[in-house]
Amino acid sequence: MNRTVGLVAFTLLLCAGCASMGVEPWERDVLAKQEMQLTTDELEAATDDHIYFSKEASSGGRGFGGGGCGCN
Amino acid sequence: MSRKEMRSISAALAAATCTLLGSGISAPVDAQEEQAWDFNTSLLYYGEDGDRVKDFSVSAIARRMFVDDRYLTLGITVDGLTGATPSGAIRQDVAQTFTRPSGNAAYSVAAGVLPLDDTFKDTRVALSAGWQQPVGETSLINVGASASKEYDYTHFGVNAKYAQDFNQRNTTLSAGFAYSFDSLEPVGGAPTPLTPMLDVGDTSNRLGDQDKDVLDFIFGVTQVVSRNLVVQANYSYSKSDGYLTDPYKVLSLVDGTSGDTLVRSLTPGVEGPSHQFLFENRPGERTKHSIYGQAKYYMSGKVLDASYRYMTDDWEIDSHTVDLRYRIPFGADRYFEPHLRFYTQTEAEFYMLSIPDSLPIPSFASADYRLGNFDAITAGLKYGWRTRNDKEMSVRLEAYRQTGSVPSSQLTGNQAGRDNYPDLNAVILQVGYRF
Repeated sequence: MNRTVGLVAFTLLLCAGCASMGVEPWERDVLAKQEMQLTTDELEAATDDHIYFSKEASSGGRGFGGGGCGCN
Repeated sequence: MSRKEMRSISAALAAATCTLLGSGISAPVDAQEEQAWDFNTSLLYYGEDGDRVKDFSVSAIARRMFVDDRYLTLGITVDGLTGATPSGAIRQDVAQTFTRPSGNAAYSVAAGVLPLDDTFKDTRVALSAGWQQPVGETSLINVGASASKEYDYTHFGVNAKYAQDFNQRNTTLSAGFAYSFDSLEPVGGAPTPLTPMLDVGDTSNRLGDQDKDVLDFIFGVTQVVSRNLVVQANYSYSKSDGYLTDPYKVLSLVDGTSGDTLVRSLTPGVEGPSHQFLFENRPGERTKHSIYGQAKYYMSGKVLDASYRYMTDDWEIDSHTVDLRYRIPFGADRYFEPHLRFYTQTEAEFYMLSIPDSLPIPSFASADYRLGNFDAITAGLKYGWRTRNDKEMSVRLEAYRQTGSVPSSQLTGNQAGRDNYPDLNAVILQVGYRF
């Protein structure tokens, strides 16, 4: 329970900090580029997730790490 | 009125509006017009060294934009898998014979060789569909479904994600869940855990089909820090329930002093295992927690993409993953992208190289190398370019290497002098085409 409260407090604090960061809408030229998207190539990311899910004991993080394969 | 006429009228009205507003936009209608499909396709070869797993895979993601920023995404992947995978049994100084998972035949492994199960051949077809649309001015919802089918495995899943922008869209909070319902139909039926591998034709310890479900939650925050830097942090929770055991993996039952696998007495005229092997057993539940952080930084054309993930679970596995990509453009429409990935994990609490006969048989045990203690490194290079007809192509070549070790406390007698961990070397070659 204390951990949950801590996590919520931490997130709120983080968001309060976030309010002073960022750019104006007209300063988004670089951020709008395809190579600046968090996932540049969805198919490549899905391929990597599938390979590492099959060969390692960890999955997910960037997205969902659920089932979908008999390989692990 | 025909569609064409309507279009020309709306274009004329829009042009008139722009003129009135003094705007220089020439064709504002286009922004709201429904576009054709976009395709992202790839061919993949994944090959492990020696006789181990090879995968040829074809994938495509098709996306269609509708008016008001709504998207439909459809995906398909077809995998063709061949090759052999470590069975979990340990090397011996003599040849070993195993009953195949089907229970219908046997195969042998030479002295000193790591036992690989070579019955691993499968075709996998995976489908997915997703729908994304804005909800109000500053939020977005995404719902999806997935299904996949292998010879011995079926998956169905649903997922949903909600994202809310704040602070002039500089901060995005998101929350999502995914539920997956999978059924396993192992060749020959799933074996009763921790029972011995039996003679060819003896299926008395087979349970039949099994199932498992996985529930995932993810919470994330994305923050634009500056014109050149965006960061993301996610927490994810994953709970698996059901049959989490690998029905094809075994453990060697060994002499508590010598560490050699116990020989099994064979009935004359009957084919069967030469030594004593037990089918593995994993707990029926697993809870994982992950923290993931990513940063993308633009440096006068070059882009650094760095991420880190920490995962911990109630099987006592902890892992760290660092992933680095650096995109270097050259010319107007080409780039190189070196990639490095480092991974390390600790072994599951029930990971055992073998089961010594001097100890009672544990409730849970697995010799699956993927639950062991190992490090992995991926190093690769991607080359991407824009074709003459303005499409995007890319080729990437990567090498993946796993090196593991078995804790010395788990080594018995002769095992100390043997190479116990099945190291892995693989090549990943992927060609991508977007149009």
